[in-house]
Order: sequence, then structure tokens, then C-alpha cells
Amino acid sequence: MHRSRFTWLQIVVVILLLLVLPKLISEYRLNLVITMMIYSIFALSYNMLFGQGGLLSFGHAAYFGFGAYTTVILIKQLEVSLPLGIMLGGLAGAFLGCAFGVFVVRLRGVAFALLTLAFNQLIYVTAEKWRSVTGGEDGIAFMRPNLFLGGWEIDLWATLNWYYFVLIVTVFSIGCLWYLTLTPLGRLNLCMRENEERARFIGYNTYASRLLIYTLAGFFAGIAGGLAASFQEFVTTTFINLDKATDVLMMTFIGGGGTFFGPVIGACALTLINDLLSSWLERWAIVQGGLFILLVLYAPNGLSGLYMSIRERWDAQKRGNTRS
Amino acid sequence: MEALSIIPVQFLHGLVYGMLLFLVASGLTLIFGMMGVLNFAHGALYMLGAYFSFSILRWTGQFWLCMIVAPLLVGAFGILMERFLLRQVHRYGHAHELLLTFGLAYIIEELVKWIWGNQPLHVEIPAMLAGSVQFLGITYPTYRLFILLISAIVFAVLFLILYKTRAGIIVTAAVSRAEMVNALGINVPLVFMLLFGVGGALAGLAGVIGGPYLITNPGMASTIIIDLFVVVVVGGLGSLPGALLASFLIGELQSFGILLIPQMAIALEFLLMAVVLIVKPEGLLGDKA
Repeated sequence: MHRSRFTWLQIVVVILLLLVLPKLISEYRLNLVITMMIYSIFALSYNMLFGQGGLLSFGHAAYFGFGAYTTVILIKQLEVSLPLGIMLGGLAGAFLGCAFGVFVVRLRGVAFALLTLAFNQLIYVTAEKWRSVTGGEDGIAFMRPNLFLGGWEIDLWATLNWYYFVLIVTVFSIGCLWYLTLTPLGRLNLCMRENEERARFIGYNTYASRLLIYTLAGFFAGIAGGLAASFQEFVTTTFINLDKATDVLMMTFIGGGGTFFGPVIGACALTLINDLLSSWLERWAIVQGGLFILLVLYAPNGLSGLYMSIRERWDAQKRGNTRS
Repeated sequence: MEALSIIPVQFLHGLVYGMLLFLVASGLTLIFGMMGVLNFAHGALYMLGAYFSFSILRWTGQFWLCMIVAPLLVGAFGILMERFLLRQVHRYGHAHELLLTFGLAYIIEELVKWIWGNQPLHVEIPAMLAGSVQFLGITYPTYRLFILLISAIVFAVLFLILYKTRAGIIVTAAVSRAEMVNALGINVPLVFMLLFGVGGALAGLAGVIGGPYLITNPGMASTIIIDLFVVVVVGGLGSLPGALLASFLIGELQSFGILLIPQMAIALEFLLMAVVLIVKPEGLLGDKA
């Protein structure tokens, strides 16, 4: 895995830019950025499995959707606060991840992909059929509650406030996910991808480690799901279906699973393409599919991998020039 | 009387759907079980078969011609797909092959919507097969029995070729010891390419047959692909008898599931798939890897 070459300075610049962004762009664009941030968390959680763990999952929407439903139902029925609801959505995702993880992390390759798919479909069918709780295909609509902070009431219905709320959650989540890659568990994840047998031989309990990673991936997918449902003030079975599960795969792959921030690029790129093309091209999905196939063929490590290899070639050329 | 006669009829419904599923899955079994490529686009190939058949039928009015031409076209498509796309990513491993076929399935679905439209198309059943037959006190549509007949023929022919002929031996050997077989003077890439073509043609044939029965619509690929994965997983990778058994089980499970527990009927097959993957990952009739 290439370490992405970024510095603290770059991160500070990006965060500052995001902080002043509402001054620079329209409200419509701001909503687009909110979508990008939410999908960035989702794609990064997926990349814990896909890029870092080398596991191809077709069932990550289960945790996203389960988190979304949990958040919505808790806020609507028990009137919990928004941060608590989203946090519990994340915990629900983690719980489901752990329950399914017990079975799936024993498998590899195609068998892993298919079992995650089977579990995703089970959750999907349950959401569709258990109408009394989930509302079936109609879903559940609710109102995003205001935030109470030490006597202050913050109106989250206003796009600006909601933007900053999502920004805080996103920065915090991405920070956690990034920190995770530096921990022994994160390093072990890479190690197991390269050679699981060796990791086991050194004395690591690879089963428990993979289970923990799978659970954590479920947690952040649940957070993303809770945020997405709160954003749309609505949750339906489309949060959980196979399309959602493959969307996150596409985002992660297009951005590139080999670098930490690759999936963020993918999430932003797909959201943007989706928005731009769908407005003036009826069949924009063909473009998306075509882009995806071209990447699989010619840039197997996604856009960030493509950037890396171009940059490496460029660096090498520069070195060659100075030598001559 | 009514209550009793529903059981054989329901059984026949399940059998017909199961055997159609087998017809589609047989091609996937060849490709996935023998080459290790989980072809996500297989459902899309099946859909192409159905749409090609629709167009050929409209131009010529000959159903029998559809049954020959459409599978050939889809088979050719499969060969092109293997030669120019899959072979390029083979060195990156199975995950990339899967992603590629996934992207292809996506594009084919969009193209089909573009060319033939979003609305379901009605495909006329040929007059010869349009009526119904009476046997054992049941009246049953002839066309559905025709599906059973075609599936039985396909199973018999594939079984004989794979297990009893020289060509079958080469295929089986090329799968497990590709380099060795290559060294013996057999063009293994060609074998794989043809295998993909045959798999595609089978999907195409299933599309021709399934189109009039399961309504030709752009969603038919994504509806059937999950059932196909269930069949291949439950039956066992690369096992033709396994695919037959699993198709039968899933057909009956759906048929009687809807009768007994309508709410959770669709969950049954995913449950079956999950249980098989957990308890016996190599499938019911698959070889231990």
C-alpha cells in the first residue's frame, strides 16, 4: 500500500476551506458537498475491508441501512437527540457487523463476497416485509430535530447549521478511521491481506482481529447511514438494497482502495458525476459504467492509483533529466 | 379436491421455474465452476438472449429461428467479452474479473433500457406451444412443459460432453492444471474462450425460452442474478448435477414458500445460501477445494 503523501498543512488547508465553503458556493452546491461527506465516511468504512483488508464485500449496505433505520426509529419513537440517534445508528451497524462477522470473516474471496451478499439480501427482505416497523417500501419520514447544546437551541433544519454538523461528524469519523490505520490493528489488517498464514504464525488471532475490523467497518457504515437518513429526513429500502451495496463498491474502486483518501475521491467524483450528468444526459449511467470498466482495465488501483503511477513516472523522468 | 390438486400444480410451477433457473445457471456453472470467474454479467447475457429473441421474432416471426440465432449471438458476445476484456484483467486476480463483469452487467442493463425501452415487452408464445395439456387430471400450459423438455435435453447433452467425451476431459483438465495441459499442446486460452462462448450461448438460449414465460423487462437480469448465485453456491462450484439439484430446490422453495409463508418466502433462498456457505462452503455436491 502506498502511503498517501499528504502533510498536516494540506489537511489544515482542506478543513479551513470546508469551513469557509458556505460563503463561497450556493446552497444547492452545499447540499451536494454534504452528500459527498456522508458517502466519504461510508466509502472509507468499506475500504477497511476492500482496500486495507483485501476483502470484496457485496453486503456493506446492510450496516448502512440498519444504522439509518435505527437512527430514524429512535428519533421518531423515543425522541432521542440527533447526535445520540446517529451514534446509536453506528452502534447498531457495529452490532449487526459483529453478528454477521462471526460467519463471514471465516471466508475469503468469492465465498466472502457471496455470503455478505446473502446477508445483505436477508436484511433487505426483512426491511421490505416487516412493514409495522420499517414501513416497507414506503419507508419512514421524520423531522430532523433541533440540537440542544447547553441551553442553546441550534436549528438544524437550516442548511448552514446542518452543514457544519455533518462536517464535524465527518472530520471526527475520518480522523478515527485514519488513526485506526496507524494502530497495531490497522497494520495487522494490511498484514493479513498480504499473508494471513504468516500473521497467524507470528501469533496473532486473525479471526478475532478480522471480526473486530468487520465490526468497526459496520460501525462507521452505520454512522454514515444515520447521517444520510437525517439528511434526507427519510429512510426506505433503497438504503439497504443491492444497488447501495454496489454503489459503495464503485465509489471505493473508482477512487482507489490503495490509498487512505482514495475512497473520498471516489465518493466525491461519483456524487459530482451523478449530479452533473444526470441533469443533461438521460443515460448518464452508461458513462458511469464505462468509466468503471476503463478503470478496471487500465487503472486497477483507481483514480488515486492512476495519480500515483503518473506521479512516480514523472518523478523518475525528472530524476533522469537532472542526471543527464 | 381443490386443496389436494394444488400440491402437484404448485410442484410443477416450482419445477418449471427451477429448470429454467438451471438452464441459465448451467452456463454460469461452466464459467464460474471451471474457470473460477464469477460472471456477474451472466444475468445480463440471459437478458440479451431474451431481447435478441424479441427483435428476431418481430422481424421474422420464427420462434425456432430465435432459438438458434439468439444463443449464437449471445455466445459470440461472451467470446468477445472473454477475449478483449476478461483476459486483460486475469493477472490482477478474481476480484478484478468480478468487478469487470459487474461493470459490464451495469452497462448492458443501461443499453437494453436505451435500445428497447424501460417498459416490459410481450413475447408471443409460438402457436404450437400455446395451448395446454391434460394429464393425470391436471391441465398445464404446454409452453411450461416445453421449458422442462429443453432443460432436460441441455442437462443430458452437457453431462455427456463434460464427463464422457475427449473435449470434456480437456476442459476439466485445463481447469485444474492449465499449464500442464498447455504444455501437452492444447491451446488453453482458446479452450477458455470457447467455454465462455458456450456459457454465454446457454444463457442466451435460456433468455429465448424464459422471455415469454418470465416477461422480458430490463430488470430481469438483476432479478435472476442473485438466484443464479444461490444456485451455483448451493449446488457446488462447477458441479452440473449440483446446479440441477440446487435449481430444483430453489424452484420448489419459492413455489411452496409463497404458498405457506408468503411474507418471508423470498428470504428462504438467502437463508439457504447463507447456511450452505457457513456449514458446507463447497456446496451440496461440490468437490472439497
